[in-house]
Amino acid sequence: MNGFSFFAAGILIYIAVIVFLAGMAYQVYRWIKTPRSSVMLGIFPRPKNKGARFFKLLKDSFIFPHSIEVDPWMWIFAILFHFSLAAVLLAHFRMVREFTPLVDVLGKEGMEKLGAIAGGTMGTILFIAILFYIFRRFFSPYKDLSVFEDYFIVFLLIVIIALGDHLRFFAKISVSDYRAYFQSVLTFRPYFPETIAAKGAKWVLTMHVFFVNLFVMYFPFSKLTHAIGTFAVNTVRSDV
Amino acid sequence: MMENNTVIKKKTAGKEALLGVLKSRINRQFLFYLDLCARCAICRDACHQYKVTKDIIYLPAYRAELIRRIYKKNISPFGKVFPRMFEGKEIDDEKLLEELGKATYACTSCRRCMVYCPFSIDTAWVLSIAKEILNAAQKGNTMLGELADAAIFKGENIDMLKDILKETLKETEAELKEKLNDENASIPMESQGADFLYVALAGTHTILPAAMIFNKAKINWTLSMFEASNYGYFLGSSIKAKTIAGRIVDEAKRLEVKEIIITECGHAYRVMKFLYEAWAKEKLPFKIKGFVELVTEFVKDGKVILKEGNLRDPVTYHDPCQVGRNAGFYDEPRYIVKKISTDFRDMTPNRERNWCCGGGGGLVAMPELEKFRIQTGKIKADQIKHTGAKILVTPCENCRLQIGNLNEAYNLGIEISSMMDFVVNNMVV
Repeated sequence: MNGFSFFAAGILIYIAVIVFLAGMAYQVYRWIKTPRSSVMLGIFPRPKNKGARFFKLLKDSFIFPHSIEVDPWMWIFAILFHFSLAAVLLAHFRMVREFTPLVDVLGKEGMEKLGAIAGGTMGTILFIAILFYIFRRFFSPYKDLSVFEDYFIVFLLIVIIALGDHLRFFAKISVSDYRAYFQSVLTFRPYFPETIAAKGAKWVLTMHVFFVNLFVMYFPFSKLTHAIGTFAVNTVRSDV
Repeated sequence: MMENNTVIKKKTAGKEALLGVLKSRINRQFLFYLDLCARCAICRDACHQYKVTKDIIYLPAYRAELIRRIYKKNISPFGKVFPRMFEGKEIDDEKLLEELGKATYACTSCRRCMVYCPFSIDTAWVLSIAKEILNAAQKGNTMLGELADAAIFKGENIDMLKDILKETLKETEAELKEKLNDENASIPMESQGADFLYVALAGTHTILPAAMIFNKAKINWTLSMFEASNYGYFLGSSIKAKTIAGRIVDEAKRLEVKEIIITECGHAYRVMKFLYEAWAKEKLPFKIKGFVELVTEFVKDGKVILKEGNLRDPVTYHDPCQVGRNAGFYDEPRYIVKKISTDFRDMTPNRERNWCCGGGGGLVAMPELEKFRIQTGKIKADQIKHTGAKILVTPCENCRLQIGNLNEAYNLGIEISSMMDFVVNNMVV
């Protein structure tokens, strides 16, 4: 690992995790220490019991079904984006540990095939969805509503997704190589294994991780906190 | 009048004072609304005003964004360091306040955007805080301010006005006796220990039909000396709004009634039912009920007998925002309308998705917005036309005034009726 890689895809990871955790804790603390509204701010009809209320909370947070009625395209791309993102995040854990039950079923080659197909599909969907996000902001009224933060976040995401897709489609790095790198990060001795270090794609990997770090560090201070805030705010919908 | 003096005496609040107003209104939900909005603008076509005008100032997310920009620059810890990231603005920014005034006083507080927002952001709530800031900056709506002050004046001088009020009701009472053919029928006022305090509107159009129903149902009621409408709420001054609603609360406490019945007036019900206790920081010792809720109980209990299937003309029902979406009475009014009419036609969409009439939030009282509300009421007009109904029933005075205007402007040719008139015209006397 050269100096920049060691910083951007090494120690910056630790800094990003600390900033993220501390920032999120602070944000949640800020919310919790602020007293709730004494006025009930929900809308009717109200869920009949606690179970129905909880179900409505999950439904509104995960699929926000009302939104499709007023803006179907935005709804479709938002759903595609978020669910692909969740799937991709989950798939990244393969770099911590192989999903052995799946390998048992599919065999080693089958697993690689699944990774290539599912990862490729999700990566493509993410890229198309994020392009929709940015193009939408080029037109009124979204253009006039947008502030710098909106473009900044989409910019980070475009770079992260594009580099990630590049790694998926063009870089010939095997999952065990990634796992070796990831393990080195987890054991606080970040390094690229020979197989990665010898390839030009190491720069793609370095920049991918670098921009993820920036994104993660910016996360707690932005509208991105809707990732957890949505559950809190969607309970308010039933506060009547 | 006295309000002129107060205007002259008050100086425009400085930047710190305005920020103080904003800070004093911060609660957890408000932080969520300001921190989480992704500016996705899914709310765009949820608002009838944006849908018709295509003017960004009426886009719900943009209306709240104006307050968000102040919040980011002055309150949000991260926004204070990087205000440019969020286009942070100072609270006394003239251009911002001007936009805020336009965006805020045009909002009917129907809260339809909240239904469609993935984060259920209550734009109307954010704007209620915007109104407090505008009032502190002496940029509150003049007309609403005058009407609110007149209501407060009436409350302070009620002893002088009492006899005049009683005198004017004598004629109405005579009419009541004649209509019910009952010499004992009455419109009681200041009746100590009555079960219900009925709060009507200015004029007798909500007193006579209600009195007919109450006398028919043989309940122990008394008429409030105050009107239900609350211009302090429309103005957005919670202090004035509390004072105005407090007149009724004090009267109810003095007379030791069990329930307050708010007439068919959307915002008055919202103020009493959902806002007053928070403003006054006290638990009210009586129940608050809307007229529709009460009259449905009468019908179900057989206290009022309707002529079932009396109407063959197509009838439609408009869900007022403050009765439906914001209070939950969807089935009660439909129960009554369907009993009377053989041809009930619901609007599309209806219930929590129903379009606002376009006249709520005090808009019908602001002459400068008359053209605007007729223009933006086009969606409602089309919706009504689509039902093909001859009669429209709706239990909200604001909605009736607005739909009355739409009726003329768009040649709808419908008859608009309050729920109480509809019941009185179709009940067994």
